[in-house]
Amino acid sequence: MASLVQNWQQIKVLTFANMKARYRKTFVGFAWVVLNPILMYSVQSLVFKKFLQIDHPEYYLFLLGGLLPWIFINSSWDTCTTTITNASQVIKSFQISPLIILASSLLDCFINFFAAFLIMVIPTLLISQVFSINLMLLPLSISILVLFTVTTTSIFSILHVFYRDIKYVTHFAMSLLFFLTPIFYPPDYIPSSLQWIVNYNPIYIIIAPFQGCLYGGAIREILILQSQGLIISIILLGLFVRLWQKKKNELFLKL
Amino acid sequence: MNSSSSSSPIVTVEGLQLSYVIDHYTNRSVRDLFINLTRSPLKTLSTKERYYHVLNDINFEINHGDRVGLLGVNGAGKTSLCRCLAGMITPQHGRISINGSTRAIFDTGVGILPDLTGRENAEVISSLIYPDISQQERNLIIKDALDFSELDEFLDVPFLKYSKGMQTRLSLSLVSAKGCDLLILDEVYDGADVFFQEKVSARVMRMIENSGAVLFVSHSIEQIEKTCNRLIILNKAKVVFDGEVSDGVKHYKSLTRN
Repeated sequence: MASLVQNWQQIKVLTFANMKARYRKTFVGFAWVVLNPILMYSVQSLVFKKFLQIDHPEYYLFLLGGLLPWIFINSSWDTCTTTITNASQVIKSFQISPLIILASSLLDCFINFFAAFLIMVIPTLLISQVFSINLMLLPLSISILVLFTVTTTSIFSILHVFYRDIKYVTHFAMSLLFFLTPIFYPPDYIPSSLQWIVNYNPIYIIIAPFQGCLYGGAIREILILQSQGLIISIILLGLFVRLWQKKKNELFLKL
Repeated sequence: MNSSSSSSPIVTVEGLQLSYVIDHYTNRSVRDLFINLTRSPLKTLSTKERYYHVLNDINFEINHGDRVGLLGVNGAGKTSLCRCLAGMITPQHGRISINGSTRAIFDTGVGILPDLTGRENAEVISSLIYPDISQQERNLIIKDALDFSELDEFLDVPFLKYSKGMQTRLSLSLVSAKGCDLLILDEVYDGADVFFQEKVSARVMRMIENSGAVLFVSHSIEQIEKTCNRLIILNKAKVVFDGEVSDGVKHYKSLTRN
């Protein structure tokens, strides 16, 4: 227990020091963290709702519910896949676990996600006047999203030490998945013969419950997706633990 | 084995074995892996893991007051041994028992966040080196270390502007600010000037007198003769000497000549 508290203290110190270093250099940096999702949301709302006229009763909430977790997963993969490799000198010099450094980067991404969530979701909910009981399920959807993002990013970050082009692979995969995941279009736009693309898409399984909680999807469907998301995340957590146990010694050789 | 001071061991190492898998270095990227898988899938998937033995049947004890020098040619396993003792690496076989706290530093020319000042980096580094102390004690340690480093007006300059010597001063001042049971210093004096090396050596010696022991890795025989009262030599993954510094230095010189 004492070591958990110590680890948490170290993660906090590193996260805030990192933010301090980043935002000191450019004050616009923090604004960009919030502006980035707002701009993406505004442009996509305009294009898909007004230009392409996608028909969905609560499209603005639907899009926001898909876009925010997408940006969280994407930015975590993008930023943190290289965290262990980039911190190689610190990891090799000090008696600190690479996982602490990785956790501090992930916390940084989560803070950005949460800031964007507070700034964008609450006003949109107030404007839309959609307050369904589904909102009660939102904390669980966020927890599953965080668990999935943390485990996948940790796996990629460890693999990046051994395979230095893994970042390009994740980047490419995300650019494909953006179109294959119903973020800006409702899932019922997909023909039934191709529904399997969504059913077997883990990113959709993780994002959809978050989306459903915001715009008021069917509770039964949200609960099923949450269960699937939890199972996927736990399996990935097991994979990560196995990978870490197998590779943690050799990490120092390759850094 | 030579144990120069009191009897209760701080460190007991028994039958330590460590090896690294080296097979996957043939695939250095996902692209390589993909090419190899398409070119010869059976060979790629069925290649057996090969092991490189870094440490083999290592046994020793470190007692209170021991200032142990660790010598060996490059690749002998010195840093891997230190990382095992620091808990950063888990050996495949053997037992490491440490009676007390361990503090290890492997390079002193590293700032956590180069964009932050030396003073700010000192706060971050202290939280990594001393995770188990109160904020009040941390503030005292930082103040003591910053005074000891004599970096004065450079403390508020970004760490990335520091010379190697200044970086070393900051790190060594912090790591030697508080006693611990086992202090591991792996080639850490390299960047410091002679004056500061002597100043830190004196501080480390005082620290050891007040608390535990030190494991000191260096390629400088002169530095080891000055600092240590016992020498361990690693060669080809094994301990080939453990005893008096003067005898060990002769042994090491004969090894490097052959």
